[in-house]
Amino acid sequence: MPEAIVTLSGAGVRFGDQWALRDVEFRLFPGERVALVGPSGAGKSTFLSLLNGTVTPTAGEVRVFGRDLAALKPAQLRRTQARLGTIHQQFDLVGPLRVIHNVNAGRLADWSVGRALLSLASPREARRVQEALGRVGLADKVYERTDHLSGGERQRVALARVLAQDPAAILADEPISSLDPVRGAEVMDLLRDLCIELNKTLVTSLHVFEYALSHCDRVVGLRQGRVIFDRPAGQVTKTMAADLYRIPQAEPAP
Amino acid sequence: MTVEAPPRGIDVLELEKLPAPRSPKKRRRPATARRFWMTAVVVAVVASALSLGVGRQELLNSGGWPMVRRFFAAALNPVLTPEFLRLTWDASLTTVAYASVGTALSVAFGLVFGVLVSQTWWGLDSGGRRTLWSRGGWLGARGLLGLPRGVHEVVWGLFLVSVLGLDPLVGVLAIGIPFGAVTAKVFSELLDEAPGHAFRALRASGAGRIKAFAYALGPEAFPDLLSYSFYRFECAVRAAAILGLIGAGGLGYQISLSFYSLNYEEVWTLIYALVIISGLVDLWSTLLRRPNRNRFRVRPQGECGSGPAMQRDRFVNLSLAGFVLLVGVCTWHLGLSISNLWSPRTRGLLGDIAVQAFPPDFSAAALSSLWGLSLETVAMSVVAIALSTVLSVGMAFVAARTVGDAGAGHGSAAALAALASRAVLLFFRAIPPPVWALVVLFVFLPGPLPGAIALGLYNFGILGRLMAEVVENLDSRPVKALQAQGTVGARSFAYGVLPLTLPRFGGFSLYRWEVTMREVVVVGVVGAGGLGRLLSAQLNAFDYRGLVSTLLALVALTLFADVVGASVRRAIR
Repeated sequence: MPEAIVTLSGAGVRFGDQWALRDVEFRLFPGERVALVGPSGAGKSTFLSLLNGTVTPTAGEVRVFGRDLAALKPAQLRRTQARLGTIHQQFDLVGPLRVIHNVNAGRLADWSVGRALLSLASPREARRVQEALGRVGLADKVYERTDHLSGGERQRVALARVLAQDPAAILADEPISSLDPVRGAEVMDLLRDLCIELNKTLVTSLHVFEYALSHCDRVVGLRQGRVIFDRPAGQVTKTMAADLYRIPQAEPAP
Repeated sequence: MTVEAPPRGIDVLELEKLPAPRSPKKRRRPATARRFWMTAVVVAVVASALSLGVGRQELLNSGGWPMVRRFFAAALNPVLTPEFLRLTWDASLTTVAYASVGTALSVAFGLVFGVLVSQTWWGLDSGGRRTLWSRGGWLGARGLLGLPRGVHEVVWGLFLVSVLGLDPLVGVLAIGIPFGAVTAKVFSELLDEAPGHAFRALRASGAGRIKAFAYALGPEAFPDLLSYSFYRFECAVRAAAILGLIGAGGLGYQISLSFYSLNYEEVWTLIYALVIISGLVDLWSTLLRRPNRNRFRVRPQGECGSGPAMQRDRFVNLSLAGFVLLVGVCTWHLGLSISNLWSPRTRGLLGDIAVQAFPPDFSAAALSSLWGLSLETVAMSVVAIALSTVLSVGMAFVAARTVGDAGAGHGSAAALAALASRAVLLFFRAIPPPVWALVVLFVFLPGPLPGAIALGLYNFGILGRLMAEVVENLDSRPVKALQAQGTVGARSFAYGVLPLTLPRFGGFSLYRWEVTMREVVVVGVVGAGGLGRLLSAQLNAFDYRGLVSTLLALVALTLFADVVGASVRRAIR
C-alpha cells in the first residue's frame, strides 16, 4: 500500500462551544478522487481547511506526507502547504491583475521575493502559464485583466493556477457553487479529466450530489460534523444519500 | 435616513482620521452624548472667541483699510513683464518640484511602512493567529508613526533648515517625512480593508507575506492607494508654498519678498501662478478620483470589459507615467543630491543639537508659558474652524442650487454659480495662511485673532470644497419632492439638503479642526501667536532644550485633538 498523502486521526475542530467536526478518521491515497457531500453546515469546508493546514485541529492530529502539521515550523508548514493546491468557492483571484499574474501566483511559494516582484513588471515563466491555460481552454486570455472574464472563465483561471502550482493533491471547496449548471458541468468535467490525465489526487466538496457519483471514485458523507459514511462511489445507495440530507427531527443530542 | 453612497474620494480623505473598526459593544445613549457634545462645541467656540479678545478690547486698526484697498486693487494689475514672468516660472517649477518629489518620497515611505503597520502583516486579520507578540508588534509599529505625523511640515522645515542649511532637500524632506507617516497610516488601513480571501488563499498555498501582499492585497487596494496618493499631491502643493515662506524657495519665498517690499502687483502675479498650479493639480486629482467612472469596481459575472473602462485604464496609466516623468524632471531641476544628508557638517550639527537638546526644558516658567500658549493654540484652531464652517455652509447653499434643478431654465445660471463658487474656493485655499495673516494684519491689531481669521479663510477654501462635493453628490429626490410641492430657496435647503448633509458637514469640520490644530504653527511663524511663535523664536535663539519641550507640547495637542475628534465622531455617528 502506498503512503497516505494526508491522514486525519481522531481529528476534531471546535469553534466556541460548537464542534464543527468531530472524531474524523480519514486517509487520502495518491490518485484518489474523493467527494465530500452533506448538507450545509455539515463541516465540509472545515474538513478541507484541516487538510491544507489553515485550520488547526482542536483534538486529534493531521499528518501531511507523514508529518504532524502542528509540530511544523512556519517555514516548513509553508513548504508543505505548497504541495497542496486549493481552489475556493469564490475563486480567490485578484481582479485588477492580469490572468498571467493570477496563474503565476500559484508559483509564489517556489519563487524568491525578488523574482515575484520582478514578474509583476515583466512576467516570468510565460510558457508554463500558456500551457496551464491551454489545458483549461483559455490559451487566448493570458494577458486579459481577470475581472474582465466571466465567472466560468475565472474558475478556469483558478484551476490553471493550481496546475501551475503543480501540487500532489488538489483540494476544491465547492468549485462550482457560483456557476450556472452548464458552466458547472464543464468545470467538473475539466477537473476530472485533468486529474486523470495528470494523475492528480483530488478532494472536493460538492453540493450537487450527482457529481459525487459521476466524477469521483470515493464519497465521504458528512452530517453535523461527523463522518456518516466513507465508501467507493459505486457502493453509495439512494437511501444513504436521502438519509444524509434528511432534516433531523427529534434526534437525540450528540 | 438614507444618504446616497458618498464618492470614494471623500471617504479616502476621512480615512486619515478614521478610528480602528470597533466591535459592536453596547453604546452609551447616543442622544445624551450628542447633546453633550453639541453643548461642548458651542461653549468651546464662545470661550475661544472671548479668550482671543473678541468683544473685550480694541481689535481693529481702522487706519489699515486703505492698505487693504491697495492690496486688492493690485489684483487687477499684476506684473506681467517678461523678466518677472520668468522669475515666476522658475519659482513655480521649484514649488511643483518640492510637492512632486516630496509626494513621491511619502508614497514610497507609505508603501513600505503601510505594509509594516497593517493588521494583516501582523496576523491580526480574521484569518491570522493572534498572539501577544503580534498585537504588541502592531501597536509598537503604529505608535512609532505618531511622532513624525504629529509635527507639522513647517516645523520639520524649520528644523531641517537649521541642520542642512538652504538645501533643496529641506523642502522635499519636510513634505516627505510627515506626509509619509500619514500616508503609511492610511495605506495600512486601505490594505486591511481590501478583500482578504485572495490573500489568505495565497498564504494557504505556501506563499510568504511579502509575496502575498504583492500579488493579492496590493493590486486589490491599488485604486484607493492611487487616489489617496494624488490627494496627498494636492496637499503637497499647498505645503510647498507654505514652506517657501520659511525660506525654502519657490513661490512662497517670492511672495514674502514682494510682500515685505510692498510690491503688491508682484504678489498678485505670484498668487495667480499658485492658483493655476493648485487648480490644475486639484483637477487632475479629481478626475482620477471621480466616483462613478471608477474603473476598478469588479464587474458582475459575464459582463466583459467595455469601452469607457479601457479609456479609464489608459488615463490612469498616463497619469502614473506623467507623474513619474514629473518627478524625474523636478529632481533634475532642484539638483537634488543626497550626499548632504551624510556630510560631516550635517552629522556634526545633528550631534550638537542632540547634546544641547537634553534634558528638555521643564522649568516652571517654561511649563506655564507652554500651558498658556497651548490654550491659545486651541482657541485659535476653534475660532478658525468656526469661521470657515459658517462660510462653507453658506457656500454649500449656493452649490445646492444645482441640486434638484426644478426649473429647466435655471440650468445654465446654476452651472455658472457653481463654477464661480469653485473659483472662489480655489482662490481661498491657494493662498498660504501666512499670506492671509499678513493681509488680515492690515486691519487687525497684531495678536492671535488675526492668525485665527487667516486660518479660517484658508480653511474655508478646503472645507467649502468638501461640502460642495457632498451637496453635489446628494440624493436629489427629497429636494425634488419639496420643490414639486412649491417649497424653494432657503426652506427647501433647510428641509431637503441640510438634514441629509449635516452629519457629513460636521464630520468634515471636525476633520479640518484636527488638522488645523497642527496648522496653527504656520501662522505663528509670522508672529500671529500660539506655539508657533515660541517655536520660531527658540529656533532663532538656538534654544534646543526649550524647542524639545515645545515639540512635545505640539505632539500632545495633536493627540488631544485626535482623542476629542474620535469621541465626537462616535457620538454623532
